[in-house]
Amino acid sequence: MMSLERSPRTTAERDEPILEVRNLQTAFFTEKETIRAVDDVSFDIRPGETVGIVGESGSGKSVTARSIMGLVDSPGRILQGSSIRFGHVETVREYAEAFPNRTVDLESLRAEYDPNDFFARAAVDVRPTDLGYERADDVPLEDVVAAGYGDALGVGDGDCVFVTDGSPESPSSIADGFVELTRLDGEAQRRMRGGRIAMVFQDPLTSLNPVYTVGNQIKEALRLHQGLRGEAATREAAELLEDVGIPDARRRVNEYPHQFSGGMRQRAVIAMALACEPELLICDEPTTALDVTIQAQILDLLAELQEERDLAMMFITHDMGVIAEISHRVNVMYAGEVVETAGVNDLFADPKHPYTRGLLQSIPGRQEGDRLQTIEGNVPTPNQPATHCRFAPRCPKAFADCEAVHPASVPVEEGATDHTAACLLYPEELPTAEAVARHRRRADTETRGDTE
Amino acid sequence: MSRWGYFFRRLLLSIPVLFLVMTFIFVLLRMGPVDPVAARLGPEATGAEAARMRERLGLNDPLWEQYVDFVTDFLVLDLGQSWVVYADWEVTTIVMNSGPPTLWLGFWAILLPLFIGIPLGFYAGLRPNSWSDYTASVSGILWQAMPNFWLCIILLAVLRQTQGGGWLGFDWYAFGPEIRSITGTPSLDFLSWSNPFGAVPFPTGIDWSALAVDVKLILPPALVLGSASMAAELRIGRTAILETINSNYVETARAKGLKSRAIVWKHVFRNALIPLVPVITNEAFLLIGGSVIVESIFNINGLGRIFFRAMVQGDLPLAGALLFIFTLIIIFLNIVQDFLYTIIDPRVGYER
Repeated sequence: MMSLERSPRTTAERDEPILEVRNLQTAFFTEKETIRAVDDVSFDIRPGETVGIVGESGSGKSVTARSIMGLVDSPGRILQGSSIRFGHVETVREYAEAFPNRTVDLESLRAEYDPNDFFARAAVDVRPTDLGYERADDVPLEDVVAAGYGDALGVGDGDCVFVTDGSPESPSSIADGFVELTRLDGEAQRRMRGGRIAMVFQDPLTSLNPVYTVGNQIKEALRLHQGLRGEAATREAAELLEDVGIPDARRRVNEYPHQFSGGMRQRAVIAMALACEPELLICDEPTTALDVTIQAQILDLLAELQEERDLAMMFITHDMGVIAEISHRVNVMYAGEVVETAGVNDLFADPKHPYTRGLLQSIPGRQEGDRLQTIEGNVPTPNQPATHCRFAPRCPKAFADCEAVHPASVPVEEGATDHTAACLLYPEELPTAEAVARHRRRADTETRGDTE
Repeated sequence: MSRWGYFFRRLLLSIPVLFLVMTFIFVLLRMGPVDPVAARLGPEATGAEAARMRERLGLNDPLWEQYVDFVTDFLVLDLGQSWVVYADWEVTTIVMNSGPPTLWLGFWAILLPLFIGIPLGFYAGLRPNSWSDYTASVSGILWQAMPNFWLCIILLAVLRQTQGGGWLGFDWYAFGPEIRSITGTPSLDFLSWSNPFGAVPFPTGIDWSALAVDVKLILPPALVLGSASMAAELRIGRTAILETINSNYVETARAKGLKSRAIVWKHVFRNALIPLVPVITNEAFLLIGGSVIVESIFNINGLGRIFFRAMVQGDLPLAGALLFIFTLIIIFLNIVQDFLYTIIDPRVGYER
């Protein structure tokens, strides 16, 4: 199960990220408390790359996925300051053409934007640190408008397409830009769902509607995003089923979900997700409900499809073995925060955060000695803004400062930009006291930003 | 087994039920507490008359012969004669006369909850925990809590009060088509019949004002009769919608980019109807029991009221024949229910 053979392609070889998640905060407002299910999460996904998100139940993995899809339901909400940028150029062109009124030319805005002046304005209630920068000078215009603070610069409420290179008037000339997913609604959102970003859910047994044939449900997506109807749609649906390895697809198209086995159903769900040739596929624990042999088949299938279509994938799971199998980069989440980010080889060979180490040790077969090590306790419900390390109560390496300082995400050692951890023990080469001081400085500027 | 194979198996299963009921009625008639001869002739009959009657009714034949005769008669819908209520009338004639008002009542008592209860329930389910949801749910419980006989009387009392202009000038008697009494049997002669194709009569025209009177007469009893079912449909409809809307396939449909209207119409409604099917057909069973009370109070000369009189006066053949007809109706509704299941839910009859 555990194989590290697939070499992660490094960032340098890759193109621009197709998805940039910045400071994502999603909270659920109940009468009793506010649950910060996702609290300041940032990561990128590049075309052809699989980014794994791993963590225990309740760590905010699924809410992250739902935030990207725009499927967060009331009482949940994505907070202002969060930004999810979809940077696929063709999509930006298509959106600029379809929604000219919601398209903004950032080049023309740039002339009016002076970061120091902007953050000094009374009407602007955001600090540079909220956007992840220490100094106002460093904050690019893109981050300001994407995080939803553009109204002071004249960005309208519904604006969601931002062009950074090219003219919105002639969509074909656009060379760079992004669609801000947190600002989407209505038709713009529906076009993105299924058409550009597709999602495969955990339980294949219940994610197909029992009263319609599998073909009907695939054709539904085809009609919606590609305008295919009738015979052509049926043929395409059968081809899709064939592509995901369902034998006798022509007959299977007209069968109902209950006539499919669990693995077959997950294949059908994947076929449905791929129907509209999305750029990004989000898999929310797609193999958790399947037995191990089927699990391996589905993972192979996903890897194959990724190769063929240069799909970007976000893969959520709590199974470290699956993560090792499929992903190139891994984000480890704990209580709504990303605690460690690394390439898959680095993470398994040299885990840094005590939580990641705990997770790896609790895989049967990797433990030292006879007894399997576990992490005592449960994931806390993040219902307060983080003022300390949320893992500290369960951490074997916790010390006094862990209860007082909220760790920021830092490179685990000098120059290791690809491997970061949110733990007071890092950067590794610094003495602990100095490292804590650095974390405290970062945390202080952030809290000051919050209270002012 | 295929879906339709399952359906036909259910169809065959209703045959033994039918025979069981006929046997039960036969036992009731021949070995019951009432002597058929005495019931027909009255206490003053002479022994010779009684013997003649006994011979004529075939009561001297062996029991198995009587049973075979009885069953074959029932199967060709020769339901015998009434003893007391309509002495010596053919039961078939009685049913032909009093069946239509009951059917008319039942039709409206099913239609009203269907078109009020289910839409309200679906509406409430689509907007959970809103004010409209609370209003619908609470009024649903209220409706269900009020017993039929009580609701009948209250409704009659309220409607009577409006004669000559009641609350806000509303007069039920003058509202719409004019009626002289708010109770009574609808005449149901709004269709004009002719025989253009020979023997079979064919409806050729509708007298709209007569139809309006019939509808107006039947609305209050139908509302009472359907009230409990309406509330049940409302509540189960609401739950069914809530359950469906939170299901994974609805989430998948949303992730596909479908409009919420398309999701509700295609993915939610059909699944939410599945638990409602037995509720709807079950309420039709309730109607048969309820019609006995409602027809009596609203003075409608229908099957329910005749059944009640037949029971009270010991008119066993009439009561038995009506029981047989009710059984036929219930078996028919069961078949309708299986048919609906087979259409809506492809998983029916599926065995792993």
